[in-house]
Amino acid sequence: MPAGFAPARAVLLASHGTPGARAAEALAFELCAEGGRVHHLVVVPEFWKGMLGDDWLNNAVVHVRFGRYVENQLEREIAEHGQQVEAEAKRRGLGYACETRLGDPAECLAEVAAAGTHELVVIGSPRPKGAPGYRSRLAVEKLVARLRLPLIVAPHPGR
Amino acid sequence: MVYTRKSPALTIIGLILLAHSYLVKNGQLEAVVKYLSLTRAVGEMTQLSLIFGGIALVVGLWHWFADHKEGDLDYYLGSVAGGIFILFVAMIVKWYFDPLVAQLSREIGPVIPGRRFIHDVFGLNYVVLGIVLGMVIVNVFKIPEWAQHGVRLSRLGLKTGVILLGTLYSFRELVHLGQLSVVMIGVFVLGSVWLVLLIGARRKIPNSMGGVLSAGVGVCGVSAAVAAAPVVQAKSEEIAYTIGTILVFGVICMFLFPVVGHLLGMGYVQFGAWAGTGILNSAQVAGAALAFQPNGIETLKVAEIFNITRVLFLPIIVLWLAVWYVKRETEAGATNLVQVDTGKVIIEKFPVFVLGFIAMFLLSSTGVFAPAQHYQGRYFDNTNVSGSRLLNDAELTTLRTESAKLQRDDQKAALGRLIDNKKVMSIADSDVLRGIVSARTLAGPANAAITKANGAVFHTAKMIAAFRDWLTWLFAFGLTGLGMQITIAAMRQAGGEPLVIGSAVGVAKAVLSLIVVVMLVRETI
Repeated sequence: MPAGFAPARAVLLASHGTPGARAAEALAFELCAEGGRVHHLVVVPEFWKGMLGDDWLNNAVVHVRFGRYVENQLEREIAEHGQQVEAEAKRRGLGYACETRLGDPAECLAEVAAAGTHELVVIGSPRPKGAPGYRSRLAVEKLVARLRLPLIVAPHPGR
Repeated sequence: MVYTRKSPALTIIGLILLAHSYLVKNGQLEAVVKYLSLTRAVGEMTQLSLIFGGIALVVGLWHWFADHKEGDLDYYLGSVAGGIFILFVAMIVKWYFDPLVAQLSREIGPVIPGRRFIHDVFGLNYVVLGIVLGMVIVNVFKIPEWAQHGVRLSRLGLKTGVILLGTLYSFRELVHLGQLSVVMIGVFVLGSVWLVLLIGARRKIPNSMGGVLSAGVGVCGVSAAVAAAPVVQAKSEEIAYTIGTILVFGVICMFLFPVVGHLLGMGYVQFGAWAGTGILNSAQVAGAALAFQPNGIETLKVAEIFNITRVLFLPIIVLWLAVWYVKRETEAGATNLVQVDTGKVIIEKFPVFVLGFIAMFLLSSTGVFAPAQHYQGRYFDNTNVSGSRLLNDAELTTLRTESAKLQRDDQKAALGRLIDNKKVMSIADSDVLRGIVSARTLAGPANAAITKANGAVFHTAKMIAAFRDWLTWLFAFGLTGLGMQITIAAMRQAGGEPLVIGSAVGVAKAVLSLIVVVMLVRETI
């Protein structure tokens, strides 16, 4: 627990399985009070809507099959990630809930924060240049402008 | 789900188009028409604005005021807004933006020897500008919600364009281009799929990544990646990296290929073959072909044959990758693999629109749209030559005097028959006489008389001429709409091993196919 911080009863955690997000998960658990709960938000970035790109050769059947495949794939990856976070929460005796949204990460996080009774928001920091992962960064300024809760940014382990 | 949005937008577009039609017809836009050299397009501007303005107004009022319920009516009429939105943008580009860019470019003056202007060199015509404007709209302003459902109509537009293109090939052309494309695509598609898999294995990338990347880089870009991803069970990150890489590469190629083609002085067949082989993404093949030759469709015809060949290879490659993936994963000890249903893969991935293309070619060959021997709608008929188009006495005297200059017997004979009959007597004679004009053996007035006589016996089939006009619009519509589906967010996902391997193989394919085309492909068919 960082010096000067009081543990929070309800922590809103935004993460999606990258090393930076895993640092945020660790910090969220550390900042959560004993018996508290972690609300885990996973945002599927909007760029997936444009992933059919300019494909015009395939028919609708192929498009539908691809769309379902990507949805299932993302669901599976999120579920695997969620199970890991949930296991850690259980090990620490914390409550856990996972929520998935499609959209702009900052907007989704701000909406979920506004709708719940959280005391603290924890996110990871942008990954260093060249590190693998989606090019879909959370716009911190946009988030801060809408957020009415304290926000903690976990430092990236690669820095 | 209800697709139609209650919005006045379509009604407003309808009113703008109707007003545009009225203003053009009544000469209120004459100054603009003159400045942009649009005189020949006035008829088209008036008619198309009137027709689509009317449709937009009627359907727009239904969108705005009716109650919408889930169902076929909502699904189909709901897409009209997006379709009209794309068409509206394509009209602005084709009638105003493209001529304005050309005018400004001409005012700047030629930039390279051969009197080539900036817009010629970079292929800045309505197709490229339409794609660019589409990309600007989706990335800067976003597609309006009321138009989102219909934007997918662009795919239908392109497929219809390719089907209509079938009417413009001769049998000889189709056979020749078909053989050339099967050889070129066979070598380069199979070669690049194999190369990606080989490099992937060396760099120890997952089989799923190698599978989706090889399809995208090898066959037809995003279309192949979309088709292959489920059968090789690609991870989401692998799909994102691959599609991002292909989109970036495709957009760069669309601008770069026409410039290189002009700088190397490539012909239509050469450029069409190169673009059809070397550009990863099929949409950009059509874009590059029309950028290279904006005022004709010879390059597009060649490029589309290559595109069709590529898409016919797609089910085979997807099947190959599926079998390859299962084998590799089984060897690695994986379980829970999805077995490949061969028949399903081939049926699902088969491009049905290619059957439409073949059907239109066959119909055209039987003479439904024009006399059977027509070529691109032009056909020979010397039975209906009006008196004023026959050669007059003065022209006949000139030809008799000049005929002494000819050395070849076939030329003398053809000219003799022309003089005797006052008109061209056969297609063979027409070819010989055109050769005389090209060689400039005779004096100017004699060449003019021969050209007049040749012009009198060739006619344009109205139906085929209409198809050519529709084609232009279908490709403009389709490519502008596809531009609206290329997002920077998707392109930004280019990265990881797919970027490294995809770029290396993509560049190698483009360079090697250029060398092969320049060395081996003849300009004539």
